[in-house]
Amino acid sequence: MDLMTISGLSVMQRLQDIDLSIRAGVVLGLIGPNGAGKSTLLHAIAGLLDSSGQIELDGQPIEQYSAEQRARLIALQPQFLESAWALSVHDIVSMGRLPWADSDQQIIEQAMRRTNVLGFAQRPVNQLSGGERARVWLARVLANQPRVLLVDEPIANLDIHYQQDVMQILRDYAQQGHAVIIALHDLSLAARYCDRLCLLEQTQLVSCGRVDQVLTEKLLQQVFKVEVFIDLAARPPVVLSR
Amino acid sequence: MVRGLNWLLGLMVLVAAAVSMDSGRIEIEVINGLWQWLRSIDSSAALISGEIRLPRTLLALLVGAAMGLAGAALQGFLRNPLVDPSLIGVSQGAALGAAGVFYFNLLPALGILAMPLAGLIGAALILLALIALSGSMARPAIIIMAGLAISALASALLAVVLNFAPNPYAMQELVFWLLGSVANRGIDYLYLLLPAVILGGLLVWHQRRLLLGLSLGEQVADSLGLQVVRGGRFIILGCAILIGSAVSIAGNVGFVGLVVPHLLRPLVGYRPDRLLLPSALGGALVVCVADILVRSLPPEHELKLGVLTALAGTPFFIWLVWKERQRWI
Repeated sequence: MDLMTISGLSVMQRLQDIDLSIRAGVVLGLIGPNGAGKSTLLHAIAGLLDSSGQIELDGQPIEQYSAEQRARLIALQPQFLESAWALSVHDIVSMGRLPWADSDQQIIEQAMRRTNVLGFAQRPVNQLSGGERARVWLARVLANQPRVLLVDEPIANLDIHYQQDVMQILRDYAQQGHAVIIALHDLSLAARYCDRLCLLEQTQLVSCGRVDQVLTEKLLQQVFKVEVFIDLAARPPVVLSR
Repeated sequence: MVRGLNWLLGLMVLVAAAVSMDSGRIEIEVINGLWQWLRSIDSSAALISGEIRLPRTLLALLVGAAMGLAGAALQGFLRNPLVDPSLIGVSQGAALGAAGVFYFNLLPALGILAMPLAGLIGAALILLALIALSGSMARPAIIIMAGLAISALASALLAVVLNFAPNPYAMQELVFWLLGSVANRGIDYLYLLLPAVILGGLLVWHQRRLLLGLSLGEQVADSLGLQVVRGGRFIILGCAILIGSAVSIAGNVGFVGLVVPHLLRPLVGYRPDRLLLPSALGGALVVCVADILVRSLPPEHELKLGVLTALAGTPFFIWLVWKERQRWI
């Protein structure tokens, strides 16, 4: 059974009539050019934007959940994050427990261990490198323990080591019975780590399905307006512009 | 660590209050005087300790607590360490209300409470204008812009009132009042200030989770299920009550709300939710100590409390700007 079903989701002038569904254990990648509506879709699912259409979670319309319940079930990691204060890593991660109104140290520690940030738990977040910070933001949403995890461009500006690190953490989280939806620009990483992909163009969904159904030369050329080289059989899979 | 800090600040506040009760030009036995005052015994010690020093000390503590707490809450809500409580215009609104009483002798039936009450009304009107201007998008950036516009309007109206002063004495009296002081105010003022500080404090305290959530921005706070707009209104309302009541009773005691939270922030691990209580205690301590200093100066050159806090606070503000500049060089 689908964990989340979205039908006819629209956001004024930014997203039109989106239908998609996701099961537990699946990593769904949102791909498409800049301005296609990937971030808007994630924000609409998280309830941050006024939208029309229907979102069902566990078979229940999302409106039936209170804001706090929704925040326990769906967590969002926005693309751009900065702490206004020099909070410690531990304090940032413990913010993931705000919807639960607790500060369960076991869960917080587990999230920090999973993202490998436990070693610098007491350091101020503004003294960390970009890669370390990306893992701290991720630890915060993992400490939230959401059923559906929404992540917007988690690997932008990260080196290849941290890119793999972050994507593997998200993949592991999905395999523990959760759903993960990631907006991504890197099509090779999307092919490698996602189970399903949705391709967006100009606020609309062009295609949704298995990786090999979406990452086709014809579709990518139509949407990105460039010729592409695709080898999904390679290990790891390769998708490049020619 | 935060609990230890609160206990330490609490202890320092008690010591400052004791010193304040013992400070004055006439030497008296304070405890004995207070005991006599409580038993309504007519003596100079009872009069000085119960009617003069006790209200002055308690007012200094409450005004400082209100300023410190409002400063910490506003800095947290607006995610800006340079925010001063006067930013949202409520201080100017309170001053405007009080000026109306000075000049036009409004609310004569209320006696000495007319001015603080008019100050509160002025603060409330400015708050309503602020909420109306910021509208349903009452988000931090909009609040800052609306606050600047409204405080500029209130300052302009205050300038008009000063311009059309009925006589030089009224103007002088208003200007002295604006300089800020907790002297010569009876115990009656406490009946107005104490409930306002409790109410404003509770409104702000109730939103401490939102203050923490806002550390990572409004999007994250929203996604954590926190009510940014609704909670933000409670914070602004609470701060307006705290600042409005403090200013309408003591005039402008500037920089306390800016400096105190800033100094204490590293000691609470930069957590905006944990900064509230220490800032209230720190504000109470600073204003009480400043008032003791004011009293220790020669009587022929009376320095107003607000002047002293501004004199001490401005170099700190310059240092903050300097430090910020160094980060960009």
